Amino acid sequence: MKTDFQTIILRLQEFWSQKGCVILQPYDAEVGAGTFHPATTLKALGQKPWRAAYVQPSRRPADGRYGENPNRLYRHHQYQVVLKPSPHNVQDIYLDSLKYIGMDPNLHDIRFVEDDWESPTLGASGLGWEVWAGGQEITQFTYFQQIGGFPCSPVSAELTYGLERLIMTLQGIENVYDLTWNDPKGEFPMSYGDVALQMEQEFSAFSFEHLDASMVFRHFEDAEAMCHHLVSHKLVLPAYEYCLKASHLFNLLDARGVLSVTERANYIGRVRSLARQCCELWMENSHG
Amino acid sequence: MAEWLFEIFSEEIPSRMQKGAQEQLKALAETYLQQEKLSFKDIYTFITPRRLVLVVEGLPLNTEEKWEEKKGPRIDAPQMAIDGFLKTTGVRRDECQVRDTPKGQFLFVVQKDPGRPTADVLAQIAPLFLEKFRWAKSMRWGSLSTPWVRPIRGLLCLFNGNVVPFSYAGITTSNTTHGHRFLAPQPFSVDSFKDYQKKLRDHFVILDWQERRDLIQREVSRIAQDLTPAQDDELLDEVAGLTEWPIALKGSIDEHFMKLPLEVITTPMRVHQRYFPLFNSQGDLAPFFGVIANTQATDGGKTILTGNERVLRARLADAQFFWQQDQKHPLEHFNISLKTRLFHQHLGSLFDKVVRLEKLCGRIAAKIGADEKVVKRAALLSKADLASQMVGEFPELQGIMGRYYAQAQGETPEVFQAIEEHYWPRVSGGPIPDAVSSLILAIADRLDTLIGFFTIGITPSGSKDPFALRRAGLSLIALSLNPHFSLSIDEALGWAYDMYPWSELTPPTLKSKEKAVSDLWQFLLERLKFTLRDGQGSPYDHVDAVLAVARENPTFSDLALRVRALDQLMDREDGQNLLKAYKRASNILRIEEEKDKKQYEGYVLENNLTDSEEKDLFEHLSENSPKIQDLVKKGNFVQAVQDLAKFRPYVDRFFDKIIVNTKEEKIRINRLNILAFLRKTLHQVADFSKIEG
Repeated sequence: MKTDFQTIILRLQEFWSQKGCVILQPYDAEVGAGTFHPATTLKALGQKPWRAAYVQPSRRPADGRYGENPNRLYRHHQYQVVLKPSPHNVQDIYLDSLKYIGMDPNLHDIRFVEDDWESPTLGASGLGWEVWAGGQEITQFTYFQQIGGFPCSPVSAELTYGLERLIMTLQGIENVYDLTWNDPKGEFPMSYGDVALQMEQEFSAFSFEHLDASMVFRHFEDAEAMCHHLVSHKLVLPAYEYCLKASHLFNLLDARGVLSVTERANYIGRVRSLARQCCELWMENSHG
Repeated sequence: MAEWLFEIFSEEIPSRMQKGAQEQLKALAETYLQQEKLSFKDIYTFITPRRLVLVVEGLPLNTEEKWEEKKGPRIDAPQMAIDGFLKTTGVRRDECQVRDTPKGQFLFVVQKDPGRPTADVLAQIAPLFLEKFRWAKSMRWGSLSTPWVRPIRGLLCLFNGNVVPFSYAGITTSNTTHGHRFLAPQPFSVDSFKDYQKKLRDHFVILDWQERRDLIQREVSRIAQDLTPAQDDELLDEVAGLTEWPIALKGSIDEHFMKLPLEVITTPMRVHQRYFPLFNSQGDLAPFFGVIANTQATDGGKTILTGNERVLRARLADAQFFWQQDQKHPLEHFNISLKTRLFHQHLGSLFDKVVRLEKLCGRIAAKIGADEKVVKRAALLSKADLASQMVGEFPELQGIMGRYYAQAQGETPEVFQAIEEHYWPRVSGGPIPDAVSSLILAIADRLDTLIGFFTIGITPSGSKDPFALRRAGLSLIALSLNPHFSLSIDEALGWAYDMYPWSELTPPTLKSKEKAVSDLWQFLLERLKFTLRDGQGSPYDHVDAVLAVARENPTFSDLALRVRALDQLMDREDGQNLLKAYKRASNILRIEEEKDKKQYEGYVLENNLTDSEEKDLFEHLSENSPKIQDLVKKGNFVQAVQDLAKFRPYVDRFFDKIIVNTKEEKIRINRLNILAFLRKTLHQVADFSKIEG
């Protein structure tokens, strides 16, 4: 079975679309994780059933390593699935998806190891596990309990596959840049490095060396103000987008190391407050 | 007699919660069975990652029949009241008994409760104790509001081989369950506990937690061959809670990582990967590890092993990178980053703490005659590693990395040892450092933390102790009980207070020095009592007797010695007799002092001594009291206490022959003063009035 990066994504899309998920595209603003996509954060609130799946490129400026570390990336890819309400056999469906991409549980030691999830910036938390395959964490499996300070009812199951790690395990390789992105025997083989190395190098240099902190502080203020304005005009989706921008700007400042511990807590609190207001507005308008 | 089998089948239960859950289920089942007056022979509980199981043996098939008596209204009560009573009890008026009571004639109904099938009772109580069950953390799932630790996916409930019907969390009970998630995924049915246990084993599940733990230990030894696995109870416990069918595999570590410090290799192995490090016969880490898989892989574990080795390589490559990066700067360099790390919002940064520790350590070293320069250097470097990349990734390496980095940059052994050991005891009851510089730094760190929080009004209360001050207190006591280290904690608390620039910090609550020190001292005394009672088994009254005079010499190691010496004295007949004599003396004194409205201090006039027994006692006291005082001062309590025991014959003879309350006033007063002298002498060691006997 083929295990190149894009084939695995295609297989996952196929699998989850058969399970009734709407297959969405990545959110087109910088986010730190697939959870931040409104198709998860907002849709997990309220009572309407919802199933969605999508790839989400996720930026973690603090993890940038100039393309020199075999495991850490400024931007990695998550495959995100959200199922609301969580089906009674959600674990079995998940394990079927692993089989579908060629991970045989009779060869790999698949384990559900306690790991409760929390996002202080979203005011969100859930209980669940890290899923291990032979000692490698390949998925975060969470039952959402709360988002934006609101209890989730019904409860959604969130499955977040770490695509690089998962596919490195499947391909049996140790350096992310050696991953085959498309068919290695095909007409025009490309590795992960061919596709993503330049981005890693340049964005690491950007966030660690060239980022102008005072400018980003200003941008944060702007994003926050815009979010408040949009909330007051009940435009929940644009408001939430500015909350995401504030969150990413905070991540940039954090990676730059310009926030003291108290300031850091303060900025997290400000983003959380934006998220809470967006979620509140979402609930009020009963979009959920 | 019949058996009840109840399995709550769920998604994976966190390992750390399993033991507690097993106990809680047992306790709840016992409570409810007793409440229902259901007798039983035995009760067992079991747990695996996916199931929590209750087995009760020797239950009756029916609850016992019994007679129930109900008291109704008075016979002359309004008809409405009587009709109401008849309606609720379901009897006619002529079926009621009329009985005389002190308050008049009342209606009574005596009815027979024929008992009911035990199965019905179980169907009723099982959901109740699922509801009552409390997990450390529970969750909701799907559209349900029932909380459990993870979603419940099956309920197997059998009484005497038959399904006990009820529903909970949207699930109806049955006689079926599942085996191992991958090795035997098909459901199967059972008819008894014996059948259940056997079929589980056939379906690759070992039900008993302890059996799995033992098996894991044997498995790791098996693959270790001539190597020795690290004895790690915590890790064994954890892995026993992560597996239903444990099988060990032996992986190898790349040689070039073996140059890294031991803890740098083993921490990611144990903490992140749950691997067992293996050691050779010299006690050195071998380039191999044991990993427990939860399955019997079709390729004999080849894929699992290469996967695990690959993960470990990545982890160790990270560790190696941090090891190199961290050493690009001298250790002091990290102190800069400590300036932006808060110790506490109102107590300054970690760097401020380091500055205080340096001064406080200097002060303590000067007092006890240790090398000030060494201790201050250790204090300066003590927290630096908290800003290192390695400790950022592996917080459990705090102190240990500081030691390695300090050693690598050529610090003296006293300094690098103190950096590691100032975190000791790492766990309650763990080892205490021997080296003086380590002890001073360790004590100073706790003093600084405790006095800081107590001064701004943050003290442990009930279950709330977010800054782990209780532990800091216990550690401080454990450290200052070291017999080679004698520091008056009371005095040191004052120094620690003075190290804080209180006027700059402006916390919302700020206690005066006197108040903060006295609150903390009381708190520490309580911890000390606890430690002495639990640690050396000293009874409360002995601890109280010694603590009652604690203010005179507040050195914890002295106090502990005194208590122990007192324990030994009170174990002997001499001691018990001395105590009796003391009680007698102090009773007489109490009565007479009340009568005379004065306190006798023990000023005996030799001229007023008339009888030989009182002369002998007085002479013995005069001769030995200063000696005892001297012994106490030198900390030789064992001798002091032994000398006290020698008083016994003199005291006995005194009470045999002498009448204290004679008619002649000056002789009576003199005799009271002899007793006061005795009391005073004994109080040099402890307040004997607090001792029960």
